[in-house]
Amino acid sequence: MIISTGIEELDNMIDGGLRTGSCYAIKGSAGSGKTVLSLFMALGALKKDIPVLFISTEVDPEKLIMYGDSFDMNLKSYIDKGLLSFEKMSLKPKSTSLVQTDKFDLSGIIARTQSKMKSLNAKLVIFDSISAFFAEFVYEKTARSSFMDFIREITDKKAVLVLTSESQVNEEYSTLEEYLVDGVIKIRTELKNNQMIKRISVPKLRSAKPIKFENRFIIDRDGVSILRSEQPPLSIIDAEKIGVEKLDKMLGGGIPAGSVVLIETDGETNYFPLFLQIMCCNLERGTGVIIHSNVHMYSARIVEEFKRVECDITPHLNEGNVVFIDKYNRSVTAVEAREMSQLMTTDDMISVTVELMQAFQKSEQKVILFGDLTDDTNILTEPNFLRYFALQSFNIKEQSAIAYSFINFNAISREMLARLRNTADIIIRFSRSDYTTYIECLKSSLGATFLPKVVKFRDKMPLIEILD
Amino acid sequence: MSLQIIFFTSPTCSWCPYLEGVLRNIIGNTKELSLEVIDVTENVEKAEEYHIVAIPTIILPNNQRIIGSVDEAFLRKQMDQFLIMMS
Repeated sequence: MIISTGIEELDNMIDGGLRTGSCYAIKGSAGSGKTVLSLFMALGALKKDIPVLFISTEVDPEKLIMYGDSFDMNLKSYIDKGLLSFEKMSLKPKSTSLVQTDKFDLSGIIARTQSKMKSLNAKLVIFDSISAFFAEFVYEKTARSSFMDFIREITDKKAVLVLTSESQVNEEYSTLEEYLVDGVIKIRTELKNNQMIKRISVPKLRSAKPIKFENRFIIDRDGVSILRSEQPPLSIIDAEKIGVEKLDKMLGGGIPAGSVVLIETDGETNYFPLFLQIMCCNLERGTGVIIHSNVHMYSARIVEEFKRVECDITPHLNEGNVVFIDKYNRSVTAVEAREMSQLMTTDDMISVTVELMQAFQKSEQKVILFGDLTDDTNILTEPNFLRYFALQSFNIKEQSAIAYSFINFNAISREMLARLRNTADIIIRFSRSDYTTYIECLKSSLGATFLPKVVKFRDKMPLIEILD
Repeated sequence: MSLQIIFFTSPTCSWCPYLEGVLRNIIGNTKELSLEVIDVTENVEKAEEYHIVAIPTIILPNNQRIIGSVDEAFLRKQMDQFLIMMS
């Protein structure tokens, strides 16, 4: 049996809903909304007439009902109908003193919970805050290991157990319960632009593939709404293809003319395959490209790279389909180019811009590839570089061309990156973790952003393959 | 009048039979104290009433609770305190 959480997007994130016989944990820092989320889950089940047992370890039932009332839940009516029961379970009731040893088990709460479940016929059991529960034990380890019995006993009864748990700062999978539960729903708050933003993710899910990305969510009187960052792209008519079929599709058919595409990479990821792929695709279509070269991307190197992937571009070079704007003159070695880059000044950059404009006027080429812009940021001062970038962007929009700008986001300041992102129409980002490269679209003028997808590099065309 | 000591046990608790024996041993010899043994799986109402979480739990007349198994010497010391109070 699958019990809906009452939150459609959350159901999607956990593969349809809560599965009976499974245990889920809601992890989050203090005040992130664990209790509210669990109350909403309870409400979701109650609305479908599924009885719910809510075990609270710190908050009194009356307060929880009041809490629910502030979200228009009207939990009292469900209690009256006999569908919901709140139970307070804590080790130390009021006005008692305790002596504790490490020789105990938790059969007390197991027996109490089971009897309550039986009388209610509860299919969903929520245990609000195991952190608060364990905090009362002097011998917390014993309590935690005995708690496994609790999880087993409850889930054996063909019910869903939902635990809430406090997560510490910088805590990754460290607590025992996380190994035992079938799914972890993690919520997190972060301060962004002086606003508290809540994010939700599912880092662990046994029944299906976990969803590693985080979605924003909002809790208000209407309930919990999760904002998915993945939106279906709008389709466009006049789009230029990148040449990677899947990437084009995900971007809504391609890149519209007059766009500045910012391709962010970390220093470790090779952006050459994408560079070559875009170049090759445009040449094959006969549109021709302008290449704004730099230390790594000078003409000789590009020709060499094409040879390596067994793709012959000499005819295109002979026909003049490729225009190189080599800031450092032609065919220099990497070392020479590096030395020259030290001597570059703003004046030189202006002359490059002029050259670029002339190239636009002369030829049919409407696609420009900016080799690594990171170098240019080293050469120019920050305001000058931004002015340069804005000028080029203006040029591109004016000519309804497309610019692909490659940049290493680790090598530039955050402020600069923010400004570049502001100017760009489409942002594609490469990132790496554990030897896997991911590609994602952070911004799109068409609203066609997508979440990180695994990228595989290949030796032959197409050089990039995007996996699901 | 005798002071009642409540001892909560369960079938799964491995320390309970020993502890129960010790308790009976101490209390059996004193008229002032009486012992009530409650199996939580059979008498859940009592467990609810006393908010029992962990087993074994011993509830002493002064509202003190002993959670977990303890040794005989410790228990005797606790009981002595009531005997003094009574006399």
